Amino acid sequence: MKTKEDFPSINERMPEGHRPDGTPFRILVVDDSMFVAKQITQILTSEGYDVVGQAADGLLGLERYKELYPNVDLVTMDITMPNMDGITALQKIIEFDKNARVIMISALGKQDLVKQALLTGAKNYIVKPLDRKKVLERISHVLSK
Amino acid sequence: MRVEYINPFVESAFNVMREVLNVDVKRGELYLKSTSMPVMGVAAIVGLAGDVEGRVLFDMDRPTALKIASAMNGEDITTMDDLAKATITELANMITAQAVTKLHELGFRFDLTPPAIFTGDNMEVSNQDVEALIVPMETPQGKVEINVAIRERA
Repeated sequence: MKTKEDFPSINERMPEGHRPDGTPFRILVVDDSMFVAKQITQILTSEGYDVVGQAADGLLGLERYKELYPNVDLVTMDITMPNMDGITALQKIIEFDKNARVIMISALGKQDLVKQALLTGAKNYIVKPLDRKKVLERISHVLSK
Repeated sequence: MRVEYINPFVESAFNVMREVLNVDVKRGELYLKSTSMPVMGVAAIVGLAGDVEGRVLFDMDRPTALKIASAMNGEDITTMDDLAKATITELANMITAQAVTKLHELGFRFDLTPPAIFTGDNMEVSNQDVEALIVPMETPQGKVEINVAIRERA
């Protein structure tokens, strides 16, 4: 009888959400839409990422980042949110941790805000509707740097 | 109302729904209403204010809203709960954002309100002094009407 060991392991690959040592990257999702937050979380967890926190506006996102720090590797940040918008939250997160890795999530038509976010220190951005492949590519690219 | 305001909404509704639902969307005949009209049961509304002002309504019946929410979430949603509402709101958000990008490119300047969602029976909407243009979109999940009432600011 053939055991699993008899087969080459060409199909085995490390999930993108894991570091070379096998531990998952830790992500904080900041979005006021329950739908978008769920969608991002599903995409990320399916690739082995660990979504360590969710926040429904910029202010809560900032607080959550400070609580989690340094045990958080990346933030996905919506732009238009109540209480504190994503750009202000990004700015405050970077004031707190200049090495913070934040990716903006934006609807189409917010190019000026996206540009402002990139100048403020966002590492990249993703335009909605969210496509699984695009989300994973952008996030793993930012984490690989 | 000038037809150039509605085309961007029709195009982006078509594109976004096709992309997020991954289905064929058919566009029905456009019609004009100047009096009050019934709302089907679930309606997301986005307000516009600037060079042009008015509102856009995304109107559908409850079974359609639930089927669209189910398709977008990849799971069966049977009640109009918070997730279903957030999903329809996000659909309205994406369509409006894409349409507005096109209108901005045409030189119109205005701001949007965040989408709000209405659910209920026997609702109707009336517009004073603004005609509404309606474009029905047929999806396998059901009919969604894009109802646009916009005018230039006096």
